[in-house]
Amino acid sequence: MVLVLALGDLHIPHRAADLPAKFKSMLVPGKIQHIICTGNLCIKEVRDYLRTLCPDLHVTQGEYDEDTRYPETKTLTIGQFKLGICHGHQVMPWGDLDSLAMLQRQLDVDILVTGHTHQFTAYKHEGGVVINPGSATGAHSSVTYDVNPSFVLMDIDGLRVVVYVYELIDGEVKVDKIDFKKSTAPPSH
Amino acid sequence: MSDDMHAVASRPELPEKSATLDVTRRFRDLRSVQWRINLGVLPSSPSASTDELRRVTADSRRRYARMRRRLLIDPHTSKDGSNMPDLAMDNPLSQNPESSWGRFFRNAELEKMVDQDLLRLYPEDGSYFQTPGCQGMLRRILLLWCLRHPQYGYRQGMHELLAPLIYVLQVDINRLCKVRELYEEHFTDKFDELSVHESDLTYNFDYKRFSNAMDIPSNSNENARKATSLSDLDTEVQQIVLLSDPYGAESELGIVLSEKFMEHDAFSMFEALMSGVNGSVAMADFFSHLPADGTNNSSPPVIEVSTALYHLLSLVDSPLHSHLNELGVEPQYFCLRWLRVLFGREFKLLDLLVIWDEIFSEDNSKIELRDAESFAIFGSARGAFIATMAVSMILYLRPSLLGAEIATSALQRLLNFPQNVDLKRLIQKAKSLQVLALNAASTLSMAPSLSGELDHRKPNVRGHSMSSDSLSPKSPLSLVPDSYWEEKWRVLHKEEEELSRSGSEKRVPIPTKKRGWTEKIRAGLARTESDPSPVQSTNVRKGPRATVRRSLLEDLSRQLGSDEGIEDVIPQDTCSNENTSSEDNSWVSSDTPDAEKSSALNDDSENYTSGESPLPVSDVPVESSAIMALDDNCIDKVEKDVKDQKPLLGKLQWLWKFGRGYPSEETADKGGETTEAPKSTDPEGSQNIETEPSVFDEIHEPCPTSKGDGQDLNMMGTFKNLGQSMLEHIQVIETAFQFQQERGHAGPLESFSKNVLVGKGQVTAVAALKELRKISNLLSEM
Repeated sequence: MVLVLALGDLHIPHRAADLPAKFKSMLVPGKIQHIICTGNLCIKEVRDYLRTLCPDLHVTQGEYDEDTRYPETKTLTIGQFKLGICHGHQVMPWGDLDSLAMLQRQLDVDILVTGHTHQFTAYKHEGGVVINPGSATGAHSSVTYDVNPSFVLMDIDGLRVVVYVYELIDGEVKVDKIDFKKSTAPPSH
Repeated sequence: MSDDMHAVASRPELPEKSATLDVTRRFRDLRSVQWRINLGVLPSSPSASTDELRRVTADSRRRYARMRRRLLIDPHTSKDGSNMPDLAMDNPLSQNPESSWGRFFRNAELEKMVDQDLLRLYPEDGSYFQTPGCQGMLRRILLLWCLRHPQYGYRQGMHELLAPLIYVLQVDINRLCKVRELYEEHFTDKFDELSVHESDLTYNFDYKRFSNAMDIPSNSNENARKATSLSDLDTEVQQIVLLSDPYGAESELGIVLSEKFMEHDAFSMFEALMSGVNGSVAMADFFSHLPADGTNNSSPPVIEVSTALYHLLSLVDSPLHSHLNELGVEPQYFCLRWLRVLFGREFKLLDLLVIWDEIFSEDNSKIELRDAESFAIFGSARGAFIATMAVSMILYLRPSLLGAEIATSALQRLLNFPQNVDLKRLIQKAKSLQVLALNAASTLSMAPSLSGELDHRKPNVRGHSMSSDSLSPKSPLSLVPDSYWEEKWRVLHKEEEELSRSGSEKRVPIPTKKRGWTEKIRAGLARTESDPSPVQSTNVRKGPRATVRRSLLEDLSRQLGSDEGIEDVIPQDTCSNENTSSEDNSWVSSDTPDAEKSSALNDDSENYTSGESPLPVSDVPVESSAIMALDDNCIDKVEKDVKDQKPLLGKLQWLWKFGRGYPSEETADKGGETTEAPKSTDPEGSQNIETEPSVFDEIHEPCPTSKGDGQDLNMMGTFKNLGQSMLEHIQVIETAFQFQQERGHAGPLESFSKNVLVGKGQVTAVAALKELRKISNLLSEM
């Protein structure tokens, strides 16, 4: 029962001031075990805030991040799953599933979390999952119109992961759920 | 650990309750079954058949399993089993309290708390309680109980109540295994080896069925034909066989001693223990801070029981009780732990099991208390036994407790109960006290501490030690309520006014009053060793004192004028002043201002500064002749008895300390308050306390061996006088401070007093500390 929060592209303070209040009220410390951030926080204060939610924080480098010392990509293992993180601006075309699948194979992960498009997507692809948590603040994007604030919470339990998507649509938090079961066969690709 | 378990079966010989088949002893060697009966989990009537036992066992297990399924939730499985759960509510971050995730997180928190305690449960190597299986069981049981009873939550100590219950279950199961090995044929249906005579398969089978369904006593006829028949076995083994037959009533669920259902059984026992099962003693009450329902007191049950305990102790052993009171050892400091885990932390596990045997064998049904105000703990035999067990433990430590000088050492002794105790004696003592407790329960009332002191004057006060005599000063004083001193203050104030007006006229009555008071206080406060000689010496002093008083009044201004003169007087004064003033200063801590003043003036006096020295300063404007008279006396006394007082100071201090006891704490508080009023500082407070001992030092000083008869009447008068004089001093000091503050004073005098008071604050504190140290030294000498 490991809860992993995945979010990114906050663009604080350049494009957004703060997380939406409803999101903030939901994110309380103590419940979440890991936080994955795709990048573009952009400032240190945001990182400190995320750290108060959970001490285990993984951030990758986004193109607008003030701190330039984050890695381009990162992999970690939680339970039975291997997770990979990348901001996504390095993968052209932005948001293209096949290109992201290439990255997934490259990193050899079951779950790939990328961002940059500010658009929530989740694909089940070739025995793995490619997730884009969107922008947690709903920041403006040159690629996407009508950005809704969104983030993702993954509940990893053994060989099964349940992906909860929280989106702020018209001022209301909408929750959706995706189930994903990993096949016990070791990933061969 | 397994060896320990096998050895548990034997218990020390305890007096049998009765020859008849006592329900509480039916399963003497199967503790888990016995306890289940005693706690009410299993039917306790002597005629309950094995079948009944099995049925009740099965029922309780079913209940537990149902509850466990219900409460230990897996948030992945939605509550109502629907395929489309309401995600807005059921997501992990949901703030909704009803979401299954919310419950999951709450449970997780509870589990964390429980785990903290479980890790520390009997942590020695190889401990049964640290095995993962046992820990898992303990965790689940505690979690479920807390979920079931959310008003209590999880409190530290619950795990220690649960641990022995699981232990005895495990022991019995081990026993079962052993018996199983020995008497295999009774446990398994062996059809391969049939004896020559019984060739009928079905007959053999029927026999098994028969024997299982029968009661223990009525096992005779059918078994006669079998070579190793059931009745040939020991009763114990018989019981074990019958209780564990998988084909008996309720089949496997009904096997009373079953490893599979240990958790279920432990839960039922734990629940029964905590809730009391319609009895009087519910352990859960000890964990709550709310007053128990149905009682008309407002304190938490633990406090109430601790008070009851102390009450009982006061009936049984009054000197020890008063000694503990005087040290300030509140019963709940150690009783909390004793009661919450039913002495689990005071004894080794095996000893504890014996004690719990005794506790559980006591009947827990409610006894009608005659007096509605009585302590609820005495409302059942079991409750009374628990209380008397605690009292007997306190009595066991009697010698070391009486020798403790400070509360900390007494508490240390109580909290580190010796490991190797004679259990039999403890239990026997507890049983004997139990009778007393139950009889007295109806007549006891939960009186406030004030009237509790009255108990000391009951005829059954045992004059065991010298401390008994010191009790007598305590009781009359304890009868004095706070309002008494206020009265005295008013009285004194009026007197003072009169005095200032009438000058020397009042001097005579006051000295005489003081004299009488000193005599009385001597008589009252002296120990057995002390004789009337203190009285005599006082009288001696009083005489010159009175005369000096008068003369001093005239010379007051002269004295005040010469700082040096005063300071000369003061060092000598300190002793006598202190003594005199201490004489006059009774338990009311109003002495503090006096003490402060005197000490302020007195640099080097190792003694206490009496409030007299600055008195001349303030007295001039105030013209309270009483105080001046006192001053005179002090000065006079000092000149006479400075040196003599020292050796006897100790004894007096000791007596003083004993005599102070409970009320002194209150008075000390009051004194603190009164000293605050004139803006006195801490040194004053400490000085005040010091002054008091010094008073008594003085009293004892002349004749440490004088006999103290402690006449109550005398003492009452004595203390009245004491109070009056103390109030006088308070007033004086107050005025002195006022003058100092308002500067409505003659210049030199004012500066003198001011310098004295301000500059010598530190000195006062130091002197006070020295005094306290002396007191403790003296006590240790005792």
